[in-house]
Formats: sequence, structure tokens, C-alpha cells
Amino acid sequence: MAYDSASLDKPLEALKAFDWGGDAAPLQAIDAAVIAVHADPAARANLEKRLAGLLGAGTSQPVTEYVCRKLSMIGTAASVPTLAALLPEKDHSHMARFALERIAAPEAAAALRQALAAVQGDLKIGMISSLAGRGDAACVPMLAGLLAGESRTAVAAADALGRIHTPEAVQVLAAATSIGDKPAAAAIVNARLACAESLLRQGKRPEALSVYNSIAAGSEPTASFTRLAAERGILACLDTTTSP
Amino acid sequence: MRRFARRFHGAVALTAPLVALVCHACLACVTQRVVTAAEAAPQNAVQMAVVFLAKDDVAQRSIGLDRIRYGTKGEAATRTFASLLPTLAPGRQIELLAALADRGDHTAVAAAVALAGTSTDEAVKAAAVRCIGAIGGAAEVRVLLQSLTASDLEKAAARRGLVVVGGQNTVAAIMAAAKSAEPGVRATLLEILADRRERSALADIAAAASDDNAVVRTAAMRSLGRMGGPDQVAAMVQGVLKAAAGAERDEAERSLVVVCTQNSGKDLAAALFLKQFKSIDDSSCETLLPTVGRVGGLAAVAIVEGMIADPDAAKRKLGLTALTRWPDASVSERLLDLLGKAKDPAERELLLGSLIRIAPLPDNKLNDKQKLELLEKTMALCQRDEDRRRVLERANAIRMIETLRFVVPYLEDPNLAEPACLSVVELAHHRNLRDAHKDEFTKALDRVLALTKNEELLERASRYKEGQTWERKKPAAKG
Repeated sequence: MAYDSASLDKPLEALKAFDWGGDAAPLQAIDAAVIAVHADPAARANLEKRLAGLLGAGTSQPVTEYVCRKLSMIGTAASVPTLAALLPEKDHSHMARFALERIAAPEAAAALRQALAAVQGDLKIGMISSLAGRGDAACVPMLAGLLAGESRTAVAAADALGRIHTPEAVQVLAAATSIGDKPAAAAIVNARLACAESLLRQGKRPEALSVYNSIAAGSEPTASFTRLAAERGILACLDTTTSP
Repeated sequence: MRRFARRFHGAVALTAPLVALVCHACLACVTQRVVTAAEAAPQNAVQMAVVFLAKDDVAQRSIGLDRIRYGTKGEAATRTFASLLPTLAPGRQIELLAALADRGDHTAVAAAVALAGTSTDEAVKAAAVRCIGAIGGAAEVRVLLQSLTASDLEKAAARRGLVVVGGQNTVAAIMAAAKSAEPGVRATLLEILADRRERSALADIAAAASDDNAVVRTAAMRSLGRMGGPDQVAAMVQGVLKAAAGAERDEAERSLVVVCTQNSGKDLAAALFLKQFKSIDDSSCETLLPTVGRVGGLAAVAIVEGMIADPDAAKRKLGLTALTRWPDASVSERLLDLLGKAKDPAERELLLGSLIRIAPLPDNKLNDKQKLELLEKTMALCQRDEDRRRVLERANAIRMIETLRFVVPYLEDPNLAEPACLSVVELAHHRNLRDAHKDEFTKALDRVLALTKNEELLERASRYKEGQTWERKKPAAKG
């Protein structure tokens, strides 16, 4: 089905009044348009612009959610400023992250990093989660700075570093083993295991072995299952007869 | 623990390079010291796995066993692991045998065979046999066969082992044993061949269907029922004919019916069976009649109709018998037709008995209304109270209110009141039916209470009338 911008006038107008549980039939034309613009960059840009234009102050949560879901599929750098403006807003931050986490443009990651420095509490943890979801290596120094901070944020940062698992992330986590906060310390060990598993999967046995050995021989109190996981990892690293 | 350590040291003599490492592990056990993987260095994966096998902690052992199962590839590693078997305690032997079985390396089979032969622990022997089945080949069939006559645990392991054991010539070895072993083992092997879906063994299994030993015959027929096809029909017919009347023949018939109605090539198999049926002598023909009925279908009807139309009275009787043994009510109209025309009392009784039998059969051929209609038509053709009584007794298998209405008038016939009372009570037994038509049942049960002298029926009728339940007495246990 070809994309026809004019045919979306009424559905987009109807979208402004959309509420959860209401009649979603008028939105079907927008859903179809999102599919139709897939291989048509010009049409895609047009639809993206019209959808992003609906976001902003005064836009309801149901409409914001719907638009962000569509932008997560067709969004580009052009939508980033509009979405970034929603990141500090308590009611819209989550859906803005939902879109920015999935928009491939580096501007989207940059917007999340910028917001990470600016927001606090749950919103900050949300930014950490989205940056981890993108596997954003550039945020590793920022996350490193959070490991010694407030407990919940530190746990989220450690988890994110484990998901990003770049060599820099491995180094940051190795240097953070003296952190006293128990939940954060446990999250750091888990993250280090995640990094080691990743290294092993990539065939980087010596690097993975180093992490596993460090965990297994660590003097800090470690849960027995963590030690078991490390020992299992060591065996897997030593076993060169099988692919990781 | 010290005894275990000594045994472990003994084993390590076989694997000299591991001595230092394993001693370390034993020391750790004795002193209860926690040895981490890092402390065990320098090491390789095989040595590490051995260390973990010696741990007291089951989770740590599972790490080593996991590596034996899925990692540390190579025959040398397998030999190292297998060499530990004689040195371990029974529980650990079982763990290692299971891991070696999953590992799938034939190199360990000699150690498993040795342990199966020397261990006095039944569970260990069974685990060893399971391992042999998993990683063995034709050469190990002999060992597995020996275990078929051992304890139940080992026997079950051997049976499973013979199903899964691979390798060239394995099937030939099993088939050879299936011809020459003692009957119990032969029967087991025939079933094992079916479990393995060994189509190459079908000819041998088919030959065993006519064996002189009933256990062997039964196993052969059962196996053919699972994987036989048109090529085995002739042998299966001989198997049915040779089977002793009763349970053996019944099971043999069922196997043949499965081949003719469910297995691959079923239509051809059914055609071949019916063709063979037409060509056999009368006594065999009579034996196979129930199978013809069970196979059913238009071709079977045609054969039976041909026999009924035969001027030879004996043939006609066989045809009628076949029709009266039909497995469902699809021939009911034909039976009614024949009954309406029958003059010979014996023939009438045969046909009537069949109609009374098949009318309420719980198959998909007739709905309840049609079943009752058939029974009513049959009742109309009855000339003796004896037959009417059978109809009334059979009626209660059709659980609907119309059946009650059919039965109730017979309560007033002194010759038929008792079977009618029984059917009223049986129908009232079903609470949903009874509660949905409470007034009608109350009236009918009042008549039963007034008429019957049977104490059980009196008790049941009273209870049902009061909305109470009644528990059917269980038949007394035999012996």
C-alpha cells in the first residue's frame, strides 16, 4: 500500500483525542502508514515529522505513548530533539526512552547520556537502563562515576556495565571491587560474570579467565553460587576442545 | 572420607600426571578446606574436571560432570574420566556413569563393562548397563543380553540399552539372539526391535508370530501391530490362527486390526487380509470372523454378504455370525432386515442377540435417539419374553428420559416387570437425568418400590427417590 500523507489528516486529528480503552479504529490507518513508509525514506521522514509534531507540552499520556511507539519504529535523528525534551518529564520520560533506545541514530544515545547527567532518582535509573539496552560504550565513564554513589543507582550502573561488557566496562568493574555497599557489590560481581561470559563467547579465553579467576579467588564475601559460576567459567575457559 | 581419599589415591596411580592435583583435592576434603578453582592451578580442563568430581558439594561436582558431559572432548580425556570409575563410591560411580553416557564416547565402554561385571551394587550395575547402551555397539550386545536376566533394575536398564545401542551389526546381533534365546528373552527382544523401529527385522518378527511358544507369539504379534504393514499380514493371520483362544487371540486380533486400520499401508493390508480370509478353510474362517468384523469397512461387508447369500448352509451361518459380531451399529439396518425375514429360531436368536448388543454401543455410529429407536424396533420384532427382558435390561445404557418412557409401560407386565424395574433404577442412578425429570422418576420409582422384591433395587429406589446417592458394590476380589 502506497503512503498518502493527505489520507492521514483525519486519523492524526483523531489521534489527538485518543485515550486508553477508547476506539482505536481510526489509528489503524496510522499503523498501516508506518508499515507503508518502510522502504520510502521521503515518506518516512514526512510521517515522522507529522507524528513528532504531536508531541509536546499538553499532549496526553496515551497519545504520547502511541506516538513514541511509532517513532521507535520509524524515528531518526530528526525526532531526537522532540523526544529528548520529554526525558526529564516524569509522565513521559519512560516512553521517550522507549523510542530513543530503539532509534539507531547516535544522536539518540547522546540525548540519553545528556539526560543521564541531568536527571535524578528513578529517571536516572531509567536512562542507565536505556543506555545499557543500546550497549552504549560511550557512557561507560559516566556509569563508572555512579558505582560509588547512591545504592540503587549504583546497582543499575553495575548491571548496565555488565550488559555493555566492553573492555573498558570490564576494567571499570574490576576497579570497583572495594565498594562497600552490599547490593552494589553483589551487582558488580554479577556484572563481572556477565562480562566474562561475553568475553568467553567472543573466544577471548585469557581475558575471560582473568575475570573468572579474580572472582573465584576474591577475598570479598561472595555468594556460593557466584563462586560456582566463576569456577564453571574457569573450566569452560580451560577447555579448548569445545567452542564457548 | 579418609577411605574415599585412599581409594582416590589408588586410582590416580593410573593417571600419574594428575597425582599432585588430585592429592590437593583429597587434602581439601579431609581438612574441609575450601579449595577454589583458582587455587588448583596450574591445570587443564581435564584435571580441573577431575578435581571437581571429588568435591563433597553436589553443585561443585555438577560443574565437573557438566564438563564431562559436554566439554573436554577427546578420547584421552574420556580414558582419564573412565579410569576413575573403580575408585569412586557407588553414588559417585552412578553420577560419572551417567555423565559418560551423555558424553557419548565409546572409549569409556570398556570401563563401564568392567564395572557392570564387578560391582555388587545393583544401582551401579544398572547405571553401568545404561552407560553401555548409550555408548556401546554390537560388541556390547552380549553384555546387555546377559543383563536382561538380571535384577529388575538392571533388566530395565538393559532393555533400554538394547533399544538405544548403536553401531554396525548391532541389529543383526539382537536379531540373532531373538531367534535363539530362551522364550522370555526372545519376547523381550522382539519388543525391543519394535521399540527400535527396525523394519529390517520385520521378516524375523513375522516368523516368530507363529512360534510354538505363546509368550514369543504374543510379543511378535504385539511388535507387528506397532510397525507391521501389508507384507506382514499373511504371517499375522497365521499368528491369529495359532493364538490360543482367549486373551492371546484377542490381543493378536487387535494387532492385526491395527495393521489393517491404522498403520502405514492400512488399506492394502486390509485388502490382503480379506483376500486371505476368502481363501482359507471353514474352521480358520470361523476363527478369523471376529477380526473381519473388527477390520470392518465395505469390503468386509461384501464378503460377509456373499457368505450369507451362499446356498451352503454352513457358509451362510458363518456369514451371519460375522455380521452379528460387527464392532459397531453400522450393520443394524441389515440385521433388522435379516431378522424380519428369518424363519430358523437359531438364526433369529443370533440376530436378535446381536441387535440387542450393538444398539447401545458407545461408538459414534448412532446418537442416543437413534440407539433407542433401534432398540424399540428390535423390541417390536421380539417374539419371546426372554428376548424382551434382554432388550429392557440393555435399554438403561441409553441415558435419556425417552428411555424411561420406553421402559415404564413394561412395569405393568408381570412377565417383564423385574427387568423394567432394574432399568428404571439404573436410569435413576444418574443424578443429572433424575433431577432434570424429577416428577417422572418419582412416579416410576414408586412403582418399582411397589413391584420389586429385589432388596437391592428397593434400597436403591428409596435412596434415589430421596435424592440420595448409592455406591455400587465392588466385585469381590479373585482368590
